[in-house]
Amino acid sequence: MGYAINYEQVFPYLPYLIGGAWLSLQIAFLAFVGGAVLGLLGAFALSFGGPLLRGVTRAYVTFFTNTPQLVQIYFLFFALPEAGVLLSSQQAVLLGMTLNAGAYLTEIQRAGFSSVRAAEMEAAEVLGFTRLQQVRYVVLPHIARTLFPPLSNHYILMTLGTSMAAIFGVEELTGRALNVNSETFRSIEVFTMTAGLYILVTLVANVVLALAGRWLFRARMRLL
Amino acid sequence: MRHVELADVTAAYGRTRVLDGVSFGVDRGQIVSLIGPSGSGKSTILRVLTGLLKPQAGQVRVGGEPVDFADRRRLRAMRARFAVVFQQFNLFQNMTALDNVSIAPIKVGGRPRREVEAEGAALLARVGLGGKLKAYPDELSGGQQQRVAIARALALRPEVLLLDEVTASLDPELVSEVLDTIRDLAAEGMTMLIVSHEMGFVRELSSKVVFMADGRVVEDGPPARIFDAPQERRTRDFVSKILRH
Repeated sequence: MGYAINYEQVFPYLPYLIGGAWLSLQIAFLAFVGGAVLGLLGAFALSFGGPLLRGVTRAYVTFFTNTPQLVQIYFLFFALPEAGVLLSSQQAVLLGMTLNAGAYLTEIQRAGFSSVRAAEMEAAEVLGFTRLQQVRYVVLPHIARTLFPPLSNHYILMTLGTSMAAIFGVEELTGRALNVNSETFRSIEVFTMTAGLYILVTLVANVVLALAGRWLFRARMRLL
Repeated sequence: MRHVELADVTAAYGRTRVLDGVSFGVDRGQIVSLIGPSGSGKSTILRVLTGLLKPQAGQVRVGGEPVDFADRRRLRAMRARFAVVFQQFNLFQNMTALDNVSIAPIKVGGRPRREVEAEGAALLARVGLGGKLKAYPDELSGGQQQRVAIARALALRPEVLLLDEVTASLDPELVSEVLDTIRDLAAEGMTMLIVSHEMGFVRELSSKVVFMADGRVVEDGPPARIFDAPQERRTRDFVSKILRH
């Protein structure tokens, strides 16, 4: 028995799915910004912190980069209420993704810190720059340029990673796709449409980020 | 009066002594070249003069005044009288050629941007890069980058230009464009202290050649004497080895 492809039943749900994609974007963006800030602190701690701070940071990074994100979110969702912190499923997903991103972005940003060329610093020193001027005119631009491409990549990965929120009942793009599927039973149509929306969202993000990186930091980034 | 004078300067990296009682002077308008085998301490002298390395003993005098290496602010003031061109150019990768040249006079010297940029453009034109003001270092050849670095050093209006093996990391066909630029500066009376392995160039340009080995000055004098009639055995060995190539 063949399966007759028929989008007619599914098309009316397109706005509903787009609304879900919008929520996915919001989750990814918030978790990314939170994770980037955490990662910046972590990178500072690893690069300049004392033994204790380095140890704690290392443990955090090791835990979150060596366990599945899904398990991490389950843990937050079920363990935190025991400690008296009640999280909605969306909050648990957001927190889990932020902590996870923080660990990865610690590693990425630490690598950026250590890539500053000593020779350029020496040139700045000899030209009479103060420490603060060295940081502002040499270190930060260099770090921004080096870090922008890997940070952008991680952001794209996170956008796709939001689909796991569906498991916790969050009605983002995948969650809504599951809803539409159980109403229409047009699985192939629903999920191709959903995949199309994910592709659209990541492609747009890719192009925007690459343009921004090229324009702001002269980062070497391909548009597609 | 010597413009720059090192008197019995001793310096070390950790426990390794790299300068062992070095004395010599540079007069205003002179071009002094430091030659000698690798590890003899030539580049270290430039690091001392720019305050990147603090001597353990001895004195550095600039314009007759002894330099206080402990005082960061006065050290910076001394630094302003020198400008360095490095072997590896050390340009700021995130800035255009013009910004590389202008940033220190603007941000450190506190001079007006418009004036500094006009002067920077003129300096870049003078080293043959008038058409590359907006180019970034990674868009330039090694020889072009080194000429930007020379313009950057000149923009500081230094009393003395320090050149640290400025052609050593260039492809052979790019060496001459950089040497030509330095020749022009010499013709204009710029005071220079040069570390170089380009012996023909050293001989042609220098007022004085200082031969160093093992952190000491073995012999110094006019190029004709150092190259044709060296007094010391070590100088003779070095010169004959180098000129045989």
